[in-house]
Amino acid sequence: MRNAVAGAALAAFAGSARAADVATGTSDPVAATPREMFLAAGIGAMIACGAASFFLAGRVTERTHVALAMLVVLIGGFCLFVLFGLVGREIPMAGVLVLLGLIGLFKLMNQFEIRRSRGPRANKTSDQ
Amino acid sequence: MTARSLYFVNWWVDTLIIGGLSIVVWVGLLAFYHPADTRAFFWFALVLSLVVNFPHFSATVYRLYQSPDNIRQFPVTACGLPLIMFGAVGASFWQPNVIAPYFLMLFLLWSPYHYSGQTIGLTMVYARRAGFSMGRRERMALSAFVFSAFVCGVIRFQRGGSTEFYGMSVPTLPLPDWMDAAAQAVMWTGAVVFAGFAIVWCIGQRRLVPPIILLPAVTHFVWFVPGASLRSFWVVIPFFHSLQYLLIALVMQLKVRIDVPGGEHSWRRVGAEARRWGSRNILGGMLLFIGLPAAFVWLPLPLMTTAGILAAAVNIHHFFVDGVIWKLRDAATSSALMMNITELAGPAGVGLARPKVVEA
Repeated sequence: MRNAVAGAALAAFAGSARAADVATGTSDPVAATPREMFLAAGIGAMIACGAASFFLAGRVTERTHVALAMLVVLIGGFCLFVLFGLVGREIPMAGVLVLLGLIGLFKLMNQFEIRRSRGPRANKTSDQ
Repeated sequence: MTARSLYFVNWWVDTLIIGGLSIVVWVGLLAFYHPADTRAFFWFALVLSLVVNFPHFSATVYRLYQSPDNIRQFPVTACGLPLIMFGAVGASFWQPNVIAPYFLMLFLLWSPYHYSGQTIGLTMVYARRAGFSMGRRERMALSAFVFSAFVCGVIRFQRGGSTEFYGMSVPTLPLPDWMDAAAQAVMWTGAVVFAGFAIVWCIGQRRLVPPIILLPAVTHFVWFVPGASLRSFWVVIPFFHSLQYLLIALVMQLKVRIDVPGGEHSWRRVGAEARRWGSRNILGGMLLFIGLPAAFVWLPLPLMTTAGILAAAVNIHHFFVDGVIWKLRDAATSSALMMNITELAGPAGVGLARPKVVEA
């Protein structure tokens, strides 16, 4: 029963071919496709960046923490791009969203590790 | 503001390097060379790459890594980012048919965006030198024009179905047909609004806008809108982008090396420093684009595949480093970007504001 439910969930989210494998109990949890392994490596790299930011708390500047957070965005963005980069071939509108997402990513990365002007609220807080 | 200080070198040199030369080449190709076969240009472009494109990347790397102070100032860019790039390169080597196409696709989309940033930066520099006020509205209009031209270019580049890069076939980003019209609408709106601001400025100042202010944007338009339909022109666009970069980077290098207390202000010193910087960057460029792939020749991959993946990584790293070291908001950097090369060749006072990036 649990396998059947997992199969139904996968059918909804990941495609019926893989769902059929799980439902019949033939899926090997150790075997992963290259994309899945890449995704796992990407998640690992994001964890490493987050952990670095945590362990460096109080020892590096706020700018460095922001840069580490932006690395997480970069890695996550690239992983999503590998997964969905060509989805526009099936859904043209999704291709537009991919391009806009990439432009947003490039724009954000353009602010990488630079001094950012603090807003009036931040200045007010620091004055207090 | 004197007429001389509007330019980094002089009218001829600045006009040719910032865009005049590329527009002349585009017109020449349009008139005399239509075939899509770019093999004739490949070797020509490769030779130009050795002396212009590759050194342009090296100049950025050199500027960041030449001093430990710079590395301390930008630790994530200098140390963290190369690790991430090595990870992406490793993944691409491991799965050249699954991951590498996306890595190359990312680079090929990021590259024209990066060119757009340089176009805006150059326009801001020349506008500042000419006393042309670039407020938020002017900048928004200019950005609308420049970034929409980039989108138009991406759409045109992608129409072929797939792109060749170092012999690898890179998939294109599928986009709907209406997007070209939408991008063109935004682009022309930005152009008209910016032209309106320029006309208002002309009336207020009772003089014409110096053409050099508009040249980077016009050049960008030629590269990405009409030029994007000419395959033979694509091959040389990176050369012209690099040429623009090297002009500014050279003047910055000369400023920080010569305009120091006790620094000798003479043409001899300018020439010597330019040769020293140029030769180092040519060597550095060769190391990045020839030496680095050669170090991975033992991999069970074609050398061109290895070279292409590494070239994409060097490019993406360059996009980050460039963003860090050339921010015009940094008062010291913008002060160096107001220099004219003749000021460094004759007696002059030492500028108080110096770039934050330390030179060796």
